[in-house]
Amino acid sequence: MDESLELPNVHLQKPADIVAAEDDEQASDDEDGGLDWTKLLPAALRPVIPKRGEKEYEPRTGTAGGESGLQVHVLERSRAAMFETLKATRTTSSKAISYGIWHPHLARAEVTVMKGIHFSSMGHSAPRQVLDSDGTEKLQKRLELLPEEAIYLIERGSMFCWKESNLDLQQLEGVDGVPMTVQQAYSEMIGTEDLTLEKFQVFAYLKRLGYVVTRTRPPNEHYPTATPLSVAVSSPSVLDRVRRLFGGLASGLRRVFARFDWWHPLNTSTCFLGIRNYGSLFRSLRFIPTGHSVPLNREETNQKDSPYQIFYNLYKPSTPFKKSTPPAPDFQIVVINARTTPMPTLQELTNLFDILPEQPLPLPRQKRLANGSQVEAKPVPSAPAAPLPSTGFCQRLFPWAFPTTAPVTQGRRVNPFMALKNGKKMIVIAVVDAGNIGFFKFSEGAFSEWPMA
Amino acid sequence: MSLITPSSKAKRSFGGKGGGRRFENNKIYGNPLPLLFVDPPSTRLNSVLGLLGLSLTRVENPHCEGIFDPITRSVWITNMDHCMTLWRRGFFGKGDLSRSEPSWLARQMNLRKSAGKQLTSEEVTARRRAERKQFKLDRAAAIAAVAEEAEQIFEKEGKVTVPALSGPAIPSAATWKPSQPIRPETPITPAEVDIPDPLDEEPLENVEHMQLTLQEAFFLLWNLDCLTVLHPDTLEPMSLKDLWIAFQRAHLPIEIEAPQPLRFDNPFLINYAVYHHYRSLGWVVKGGIKFCVDYLLYKRGPVFSHAEFAMVVLPVYEDPGDQEDAPSNLQNATPFAWSWLSTINRVNSQVQKTLVLVYVTIPSRKRVSATVLESPACFTQYSVREVILRRFIPARMRD
Repeated sequence: MDESLELPNVHLQKPADIVAAEDDEQASDDEDGGLDWTKLLPAALRPVIPKRGEKEYEPRTGTAGGESGLQVHVLERSRAAMFETLKATRTTSSKAISYGIWHPHLARAEVTVMKGIHFSSMGHSAPRQVLDSDGTEKLQKRLELLPEEAIYLIERGSMFCWKESNLDLQQLEGVDGVPMTVQQAYSEMIGTEDLTLEKFQVFAYLKRLGYVVTRTRPPNEHYPTATPLSVAVSSPSVLDRVRRLFGGLASGLRRVFARFDWWHPLNTSTCFLGIRNYGSLFRSLRFIPTGHSVPLNREETNQKDSPYQIFYNLYKPSTPFKKSTPPAPDFQIVVINARTTPMPTLQELTNLFDILPEQPLPLPRQKRLANGSQVEAKPVPSAPAAPLPSTGFCQRLFPWAFPTTAPVTQGRRVNPFMALKNGKKMIVIAVVDAGNIGFFKFSEGAFSEWPMA
Repeated sequence: MSLITPSSKAKRSFGGKGGGRRFENNKIYGNPLPLLFVDPPSTRLNSVLGLLGLSLTRVENPHCEGIFDPITRSVWITNMDHCMTLWRRGFFGKGDLSRSEPSWLARQMNLRKSAGKQLTSEEVTARRRAERKQFKLDRAAAIAAVAEEAEQIFEKEGKVTVPALSGPAIPSAATWKPSQPIRPETPITPAEVDIPDPLDEEPLENVEHMQLTLQEAFFLLWNLDCLTVLHPDTLEPMSLKDLWIAFQRAHLPIEIEAPQPLRFDNPFLINYAVYHHYRSLGWVVKGGIKFCVDYLLYKRGPVFSHAEFAMVVLPVYEDPGDQEDAPSNLQNATPFAWSWLSTINRVNSQVQKTLVLVYVTIPSRKRVSATVLESPACFTQYSVREVILRRFIPARMRD
């Protein structure tokens, strides 16, 4: 790559073609489909490729019992097209290349020449003490890249990186250090600043798909932190308060008059004051402690050692992203190695869920309102924390004063299955298994808030 | 109408149920639990009482009977009326010679009469599978014919045409019709090879019984009080206390000299906590071995819709020391490998179920003494929480 930049190039590459090729390369159509190799070449050099059809899964026998000539011919044609495109040399226009210097002790790449649209979502500005030309030290703000961002740009061909050196470079113009190859970039930068090969792989995969990926925990104080999602906890309404008050009174009275007998948990013999339909029967059965707020009673092992820490914040391509004040992330990612780390234990999951904000309820399919950002549902009436059942006496007395309908948002009922499947809090765990990445969403379930009866 | 064509309604159900069958199902399976609430006649006094929140509703209890079998860790119900009551009101139990509902007798009668008026679910499934096999053979033949044609064109003219895998010439599931009536292949045993003479037929005796798992049995007899369990040797009804201990002992290794102490990590207790919790929320809980999981949750029952959630029970010890002392390894107590988790997830998403990991915390012996295990009050020491697992595909979540 470095040689071709310095040698004169015979083919006149129009910048528009190159940009088009790079854009096409970004948009891989299907996650599971193969790349269309011809899009990497400029229009003049592209071979003719037949349209991609359905996959064949076994060799077909032809007419005379021999090989199918048609199948062999089609396969050979596709293979030849692939090899042809791979043989071509990849180039980048010199007008689109940025330049940077890698500082090993800082573990950052400083960007000297900035070109292209990448830097609207990558890099952060950090003030450094810089030796000025007349020998005085000045505090100057410069654009710096994290190691994963630097490797990504170098590998892509959008950045040319020098390594910082103490050699006297005054005579050489335009040379800021020792030039780094892609392999050197990998070997030097992976391992610094908490970056492992798995984390880089996840970063590069998501960036190629178009997401904006930033770190959750800022590695130094100049790195901007994302504003956390504000959880709108509306104060309980008057009705809720009254209901809780009466519920408490009634359960207290119950406890005085009729002790909860563990050998006869339901009082079905006398229906006078007790259960009289299936709904109340089911409600009185709910005495097993449930929910994520029940304390775990486990000794607190040192949580910093656990590999389950949130590492990346993920923003969808459509979210307006501002580098200096990033908005709340759409997803948060934990990256682990499948071979060395087992599934998360309950303690690790609980620690992760404690940090995360609650998600809004999933709306039924309807067009979004104008202020789509404020789609926070009314808080679900909290399940009774006490294990004993309590249908308040006044609640039965005046059932019309205590409605217990499912939470209604904007006049439409939330589908309970959708709410159950989405859960209340979500974390994405990226599992890297010797090169293959699998993403899993672990959500905190809330079955006790959506009873079926 | 072939059984494999997707029905026009969104719900896929066996036999192409229309409104009539659904109405029938609602009538037969309308009660979610074996207890029935009989409303008093609506007199003026009763309506006044109703306003005050009191009522004179009676509870009708079916009082079923079963025999405890510690070897199979189940309760056997042999009385057919009790079987059907328990199955129809809440989908408890499973026939031991059938898929779910005890239908062996009905199938044998259908075999003899070979009229098949009321098809049992096993017969419907067998017929549907035979039709689908025939459809796949037809489709493969059509594809081979089209490919043959394309090959001929290539050899003669050198023109490359792509043989289609779908299109007007090739049958699809929506348009295929069986050319002749399909007979499902029934396994032929040597005894059935010679056609039985109608005069020699013995009267059919039902050899099938229904089995309740220990969790289902305990739920019925503890909460609803509608099941009496008899001792296998003496056939005397066992008391609730005896049954509580016996159900736990069924999972402990048999000790000849001294009885083993009761433990908190008994699989019966853990599974019962999960079973009770989801039953109390109104779900119908059935076994999930078919999909590599522990339980399946149905909204109203298997006859109404497919299960929505597949539950895997993961016990978590509060004290790691207890885990080392355990006499036998508790299933799923150590977090399993990612490959197995991916496998279960893939199997269940293939059948459109959501995988739910249910964590049950086991109290530590240091904090709670083991004497609390002698009564069901120990359930306040456990806790049940769930974590929902789904796949995240970044390529599709971009917008």
